[in-house]
Amino acid sequence: MSRHHYDDELELAFLDPLQERREFLKLMGASLGLAGLTACVKQPEEHIYPHVRAPEHLVPGRPRFYATSLSRSGVGSGVLVESHEGRPTKIEGNDAHPATGGGTDVWMQADVLSLYDPDRSQLILRRGQPSTWSRFLEEVLPAFGTPTKGRRTALLTGNVTSPTLAAQIEGLKAHLPELRWFQWEAVHQDERRRATTTAFGRPLDVVYDFTKADVVVALDADPLFAEPGSVRYARDAARRRRDPARFSRWYVVEPSPTCTGTFADHRFRAKRTAIGDWVRSIASELGVIPGGAAIPEVAPIVRDLKKAGSRALVVIGPHQPAEVQALAFAINQRLGARDETFTTIAPVAAAPVSHVEELAALTAAMNAGEIESLLVLDKNPIFDAPADLEFEAAYAKVPLRIQVGLYDDETANMSHWHLPSRHALESWSDIKAYDGTVSIVQPLIRPLYSGHSAHELIALLMGGAGQRDHDIVRAHYEKEWGAQLESKWRRVLHDGFVEGSAHAPVSTAPRTAALSKSAPADLEITFAPDPTLWDGSYANNAWLLELPKPITRLSWDNAALMSPATAARLGVKSEDLVTLTVGDRATKAAVYVQPGQADDSVALSLGSGRRRGGRLALEVGFDAQAIRPAKSSWAAPVKVTKTGETYRLASVQEHHKMEGRHLVRQATIAEYAANKDFAKEPDKKVLNLSMYPEPHPNQQGDQWGMSINLNACNGCNACVVACQSENNIPVVGKEEVGRGREMHWLRIDSYFEGDDADPDIHTQPVTCMHCENAPCEVVCPVNATVHSPSGINEMVYNRCVGTRYCSNNCPYKVRRFNFHLYQDWETPSLEPLRNPDVSVRSRGVMEKCTFCIQRIQQARITARKEDRDVRDGEIVTACQGACPTEAITFGNVASPESAVSREKADPRDYTLLREVNTKPRVSYTAKLKNSGLASNRETKE
Amino acid sequence: MGQLFPKSANVLARTTLLLLAGGGALTLGIAYAVNSSSLVTRTEMAREQPVPFSHKHHVAGLALDCRYCHVYVEEGASAGIPPTHTCMTCHSQVWSEAETLEPVRESYRTDKPLRWTRVHDLPDFVYFDHSIHIAKGVECVDCHGNVEKMPLVWKENSLQMKWCLECHRDPPKTADADAKPSDDCYTCHR
Repeated sequence: MSRHHYDDELELAFLDPLQERREFLKLMGASLGLAGLTACVKQPEEHIYPHVRAPEHLVPGRPRFYATSLSRSGVGSGVLVESHEGRPTKIEGNDAHPATGGGTDVWMQADVLSLYDPDRSQLILRRGQPSTWSRFLEEVLPAFGTPTKGRRTALLTGNVTSPTLAAQIEGLKAHLPELRWFQWEAVHQDERRRATTTAFGRPLDVVYDFTKADVVVALDADPLFAEPGSVRYARDAARRRRDPARFSRWYVVEPSPTCTGTFADHRFRAKRTAIGDWVRSIASELGVIPGGAAIPEVAPIVRDLKKAGSRALVVIGPHQPAEVQALAFAINQRLGARDETFTTIAPVAAAPVSHVEELAALTAAMNAGEIESLLVLDKNPIFDAPADLEFEAAYAKVPLRIQVGLYDDETANMSHWHLPSRHALESWSDIKAYDGTVSIVQPLIRPLYSGHSAHELIALLMGGAGQRDHDIVRAHYEKEWGAQLESKWRRVLHDGFVEGSAHAPVSTAPRTAALSKSAPADLEITFAPDPTLWDGSYANNAWLLELPKPITRLSWDNAALMSPATAARLGVKSEDLVTLTVGDRATKAAVYVQPGQADDSVALSLGSGRRRGGRLALEVGFDAQAIRPAKSSWAAPVKVTKTGETYRLASVQEHHKMEGRHLVRQATIAEYAANKDFAKEPDKKVLNLSMYPEPHPNQQGDQWGMSINLNACNGCNACVVACQSENNIPVVGKEEVGRGREMHWLRIDSYFEGDDADPDIHTQPVTCMHCENAPCEVVCPVNATVHSPSGINEMVYNRCVGTRYCSNNCPYKVRRFNFHLYQDWETPSLEPLRNPDVSVRSRGVMEKCTFCIQRIQQARITARKEDRDVRDGEIVTACQGACPTEAITFGNVASPESAVSREKADPRDYTLLREVNTKPRVSYTAKLKNSGLASNRETKE
Repeated sequence: MGQLFPKSANVLARTTLLLLAGGGALTLGIAYAVNSSSLVTRTEMAREQPVPFSHKHHVAGLALDCRYCHVYVEEGASAGIPPTHTCMTCHSQVWSEAETLEPVRESYRTDKPLRWTRVHDLPDFVYFDHSIHIAKGVECVDCHGNVEKMPLVWKENSLQMKWCLECHRDPPKTADADAKPSDDCYTCHR
């Protein structure tokens, strides 16, 4: 932030009344003079470096797309990567991939920034000092292969689903009989594994089919956002929320509001440690186990479940205790949902083990001095191991510690050797998706920092020096495909996955065991993967750090979320710094009062509070790992004590009430049936006055417009990151977000309706509305924002002088101003990241959503070259393409047949702030609730 | 108190005011003239290149089509500068030992690209697409001038926005009747 230094001085001059007037005038005069001089810069001379031999099919300026897969906690998601002359710049969904269906999530979208992250580890380190590969080979290889008699070598990896890597590790174990292999993921599926073992006799993975589910009961689960397969689930679930006649009904019971919770028709708050009682009540009502329902709310839910039968689905969170999950599986079996909406498959993990037990075993072995050398592959256990294992102390006892990782992080710092790793966009590998579908991971660019691939390292340990990751992966499939290798390999690289490789269903009947009454803690703390940083592996990704978390809208920091009642009981308010004590361990965290949070339940997400591993990750957030116990990884009793200090949080939305302004409109299906025009009701009194003829005489040709379906949106944020990536939007830092200067062109507002403690939660994406009557255009003194013949509200950067009148006159607050030089013009590694089709904005100009004009123009040029009109669906905006739920439709509103016109013809279509008569081109489809009970709103009133 | 300024000060004040106004107008006028002059636009100034490649010889003398080298002009935004390989298709046989062509051979040998000086350099906030102009009948010569008369190529037109708009508002005769170019800002600025 040092380059902001001079700006800050100027700003101080404004803010500090004691500042000398003369000083102030001097600064102003100097900056005015300098600003004038900048206009006199001569265009620098540029050079052209053509190819020596031009590659085939490459047209300069035309991006190419390659299919590959990205990994989160070891599970793959298929993507297409946009490549400009060999530089990956943007991640898109892969429509053909069965595990995503074409959608993306925030992590997939942001991964391209991780590739170019200037803080990535770039050098081999030996005890923290730069070293060389040859020295590594000399010192480490012999030692690793031949441990002292009676001692062992160990390998610690994350969740391995890669068939090639798994086979290699098996080979390595045969090659080095002394080797022990451990796996660890902070976001592990231990309870799911235990639950399926209890119920079905062996570890299995659970797969849902939301296209078939008429009634869904999600208990402490977030299948639409945070579970393997979420992208596909979100798409399937949203498709059942389009046609009011086929609407599914969702009941969600959860401790802390999630994206799935916002999607629900009925949302109930319950502590994580009390979910067992809900499951028990549903099970006994259904007759799965004896006894009666302890929770009265379940009666109507069970009625619905019974009615839906095999088309019902109970989704139990993977972090619930195994017994609770097992009972939920039995409920699905009883309903007849097995193999309909609820399927079990052989595990996607190559070796499904309990990660906590594995890490505990490794710690014990290290403490006992059994491990002579340890190789940690792309993991950071010093940061994310459960605190009570005291992994760090045990790790220090290992005589030879080697870590391979993307960052010089906590574990790298504790290791004798650190090797930079390869990003997924730089390597060859393979990976399985949540349903077992195998994908080949192919590189989009040569390794930026001569990173090391896990495949190559393992091959090296087996004596195969100099093997390349491509050859290793290909050799693995040669065994499988034999003579068909070449054709099949090419097919798979093109498609992005191996056709028909999803795991087949396993239909063993579950055993049903009684479940004892749960004993909820008086005050519990729940841990969950962070909605932006996940387990901390994305902790230095600037896009994800700044991305406001869904619902809370907190940027940069995580916080201890608690309900208004709990906060009142504890005598704390938002931004109070408290000490959270679990057992004998404590950590500090800022409180954030969150409506919709269960009472007596505190939520703290993982991944923040990093101590090393990149400049950005260090200063923000609170370390949940410091108090996370090994035995109960997801919920524990907690003590909250005030420290008396406060901590400033940067939230991008401080008011979540609509104050009667009808921003999100909603009705039940019954209300909708009685009055199809309910969404237009609030606008009936608005006069439609205009001095201009309609349509505006300037309008010519295609008229671009957008429709956003609020039934589909669950607030996951994928569109926001996609927009940032596509449009070269800078990151401003926590300080500036605190001043309300975030730059996102697209934001997802959250609203709470009804009861303060237990509200209906709405999410609403807001872009530039591209008003036909745009208030911003009439106030610009320099004509920098004008209207295009196709109805786009244009922002012309080079005319803008930064008066900000437009922003002040915008009722939707979607214009963003570059108060400082937010864009990083200096870091070389960030240059190839930028979209070459979009201007990189400098200080002092306004910017905002352009409807992805670069994509519109490209499609127009293509169409005009072919002497035809732009086809419907030919232009896909970045937000639309990223959306896992297909909530966004874009197209020509002048053509009645276009998809967007059909959406806008829906009686539920409405625009924001109709009363200001701006005539937005972006409209919303009002929400419907498929209420099975009196809605939250009604019961509370 | 006596008069501070003599009467002649009035004349001085008036002259100063006049000069200020006139000077301002003059400054603006000069700035405009300089900005449209080849001092800034660099029109008709041949640039030095690593190889003295003569368009005059190759186009007028040998009658090569522009697209023999600028292959992407019909499909891409950029017309493309030929790879060394294209030069060598002929120059491995013709003038294969000419001294001036040594940089070309060196590039081919060492696999290092030639370093040409850009003659037509648009500002970074302008997004120009060759292919659509060609498709709508705009001829190379309409913008680039008579390249066949240029030994070392120079910029024929200023490439300033004013010049772009001339055609966008009144297309050249060669252009298709249905060309209908747009003068909307987002046509070129994104």
